[in-house]
Amino acid sequence: MKKNLLSIILAVIAVIAIVFCFVFNGQKGDLEQKVKDLESQIETLKADAAKVAEDAAKAAEDAAKAAEEAAKAAEEEAARKAEEEAAKAAQELPTITIMFHGSNVSDDSAVLAKVNEYIADKVGAKLEVIWGTWGDFDEKAVNALTSVDKDVDIVFTCSWSADEYNSYAKKGYFLKLDDLIEQYGADLKAAIPESLMQAATIDGAEGKGIYAVNGFKDTATQNTWDVNVTLLNELGYTVDDLKAKGFFGWDEIFAKAKEVKGDSFYPFLVEPMVAERMVTNSIIVAGDAGSTNLLSLYLNPEDVSADGAYGNKLLNKFATDEYKAFANQMHKYYDAGYIDPALSVAETSNDARTNHQKDASYLIGTQSYAFGYEYSADVLARGAEIQFVPCTDPYVDTTASQGAMMAINSASEHPEEAFKFLALLNSDPVLMTLMNYGVEGIHYTLNDDGLVVFNADARATYSPWTNGVGNVTILPDTADEGKGFRESFKAYYAGAKGIPSLGFVFDNTPVENEMAALGNVAAQYALALDCGAVDPETELPAFLSALDAAGMQAYLDEANAQLEAYLAK
Amino acid sequence: MTVINRSVQKKMKAGSFTLNRFGTGTQAAFHVLLALFSLMCIIPFIFVIIIAFSSEESIRQVGYSFTPVSWSTQAFTYTFRLGDALWRSYFNSFLITIVGTVLSVSLTVLYAYPLFRRDYRYRGFFNFLSFFTMIFGGGLVPTFVICKSVLGLSDNYAALIVPMLFSPFNVIIMRTFLQTTVPTELIEAATIDGSGEYSTLVRIVLPVVKPGIATIALLVSLAYWNEWFLSLLYLNKNMDIMPLQYLLMRMQRNADFLAKNSSMLGVDAAKAAAQLPSQSLKMALVVFIVIPIACAYPFFQRYVIAGLTIGSVKG
Repeated sequence: MKKNLLSIILAVIAVIAIVFCFVFNGQKGDLEQKVKDLESQIETLKADAAKVAEDAAKAAEDAAKAAEEAAKAAEEEAARKAEEEAAKAAQELPTITIMFHGSNVSDDSAVLAKVNEYIADKVGAKLEVIWGTWGDFDEKAVNALTSVDKDVDIVFTCSWSADEYNSYAKKGYFLKLDDLIEQYGADLKAAIPESLMQAATIDGAEGKGIYAVNGFKDTATQNTWDVNVTLLNELGYTVDDLKAKGFFGWDEIFAKAKEVKGDSFYPFLVEPMVAERMVTNSIIVAGDAGSTNLLSLYLNPEDVSADGAYGNKLLNKFATDEYKAFANQMHKYYDAGYIDPALSVAETSNDARTNHQKDASYLIGTQSYAFGYEYSADVLARGAEIQFVPCTDPYVDTTASQGAMMAINSASEHPEEAFKFLALLNSDPVLMTLMNYGVEGIHYTLNDDGLVVFNADARATYSPWTNGVGNVTILPDTADEGKGFRESFKAYYAGAKGIPSLGFVFDNTPVENEMAALGNVAAQYALALDCGAVDPETELPAFLSALDAAGMQAYLDEANAQLEAYLAK
Repeated sequence: MTVINRSVQKKMKAGSFTLNRFGTGTQAAFHVLLALFSLMCIIPFIFVIIIAFSSEESIRQVGYSFTPVSWSTQAFTYTFRLGDALWRSYFNSFLITIVGTVLSVSLTVLYAYPLFRRDYRYRGFFNFLSFFTMIFGGGLVPTFVICKSVLGLSDNYAALIVPMLFSPFNVIIMRTFLQTTVPTELIEAATIDGSGEYSTLVRIVLPVVKPGIATIALLVSLAYWNEWFLSLLYLNKNMDIMPLQYLLMRMQRNADFLAKNSSMLGVDAAKAAAQLPSQSLKMALVVFIVIPIACAYPFFQRYVIAGLTIGSVKG
């Protein structure tokens, strides 16, 4: 505006000047007078222009001042707000993040909303969950721990996951919990049996102590024959007949099944590794080579807490007479067509077994048993009467007693809150039910007897791995399991006896190279032999010599030396 | 033209025109060979489609088979009932692929072009800079830490796009393509005609190297479309941005894990295995994954083939 005004004034001056020129040219007479007049006019105009300009400058100055004041005010306002926010943040709860294993969860919003409401006062933190699945947990857990990721506070660990409890505790990735248990763990101690606390007590990075909260689940192992009773009775036999004949005398029954059900029916549905353990009474040694075990301790089938046939000595499981007899018998069954060939191939073995189980197209199977499995949905859905016939009493070994634990990341910034949460989760039925079964009214309802009935659709979007969450004994009974299930569950596992070398974990670091080589050899032979797909007369000696060449003796000596040292303590 | 063609045809029939042409026997042998090769490529996919349409009982009874006992569209109806999760991850896959390809191709071209220009002073240094990372990588854990803690690539789309944006291999392809198809004379001519650097790149060079860009775009978009490892690493809490490949990969890895550890897990493994999606569902998802990229292929292919036959300076 002001600029325009100035230019208008200048234009006016110019016009006047031009007019003046014309006049000057035309009339020279009263020139002087006119010049004077014009001069005075220009003078006044100039003065006007200067005034306007001055006014404009003043206005601009005022505006700048106002802007400065406004900025100052805004700055003050912002500072005040930031202060307020900082105060608020101080009051706001820290977030703890927990990483589970084996979950099948796509929508946890309803559950987490309830959980956060519930734990706000009790724990003083907010919960976030990383729902690790079977396939990706190992990668995620190892990444989070080895990269010292502060965002993960609590992480699942156990004797068979990639972040293996004993070795990771030794390497210092887990926080030692003894002090926290002393301070906040009274409820936890009451809820979890002493034996499980002991099973978690190991030599870690910060000395002997507890490095993870051990979940109370099916902590004993019991291998059973999974019998299709409906079909067995149809063939004219009973479960007692099976028991009387034993593993080495089932030819007749299998032959009959084959005869009745046709040639494409496979009566013997083995999980080869489990069958081997069942027949030879061998058990897994914690710390042994991953999925193909090489070492065996031998159990006393009459009394699991007494020494077995070989005493407390670790053996190459493939070199024993028991193994030879087992492999020969399996080969006989396999040759006669009683075993599905798909079971002898690692890639198809599990799928084939699941498929046969789904429509009960088998007579005898193997199952590593957990109390109450016969009442679970997938067994009930098979459409036949299934009975699990045990080989031995349940026994507690190191592997099973470190089967599902929760450790606190040593890099965590909120270890106290994290521990408080773990303690509450494992001792408070409300929180455990919420985390495990979901929200009442959404994921499940209670029937007239107060038993849990799942809402299948909602449960499909929220099903964590029940045993991986923590203490399952404080969960309510489900309608499938029946009333009083948890009580009998507890009694069953409380009654389980420990093996003589309970607590021993083989530290395989001194023989790592041998173990890798042996694992490769075993992966090549073991499954086919266990399943009977190859002739043990030729393959077993080849396997044994390959094992020897890969350093079996050194591996065995190291393991036995460690076991002796452990037992001597 | 037609006259020439006819005379050529005549000569060919007479067998006197043998230049640039194989004999009938060789021709037939090549045809058979190529037919076999394309069958090898097509049959597995047809097999996948058949399995996707097989009923569960059929798979249980006779396993994977070209002639299933009974057919069913159950897998597809189930997939559609997966609803949100499926479509969301489908959308994510598309988004990541499109955004990633556009960004990555622009970056590659912009990096490769100066490296191709002989008059660029720091050519050697930048050449080395990109080439060096092909030989020496940081390793998984350091990369993970840098991406997650320093760059904040975690639980967001950027985490699935940024780590794959720049590939030295693609830069080298692009640079070589520029060197072989764009003669220095062309750039000089453009400069003489008064074209600035940007104008030369966008209006002169880019149209010439379209086939090269198409090749890079094809490589990059395939890489983005098939990527699942980044999701495994960087997606923890925000599963809403999971791409389709990871959805499928997760199912597969779950099944593999349970198969390997079933003897350790006992009942838990059996229970979890019962929850896993069926075989036909997995194959149905494979069909979902393959179809879009199979549709995109012909468009890229046009340029890739064109790239073999044209250049900017004739003679």
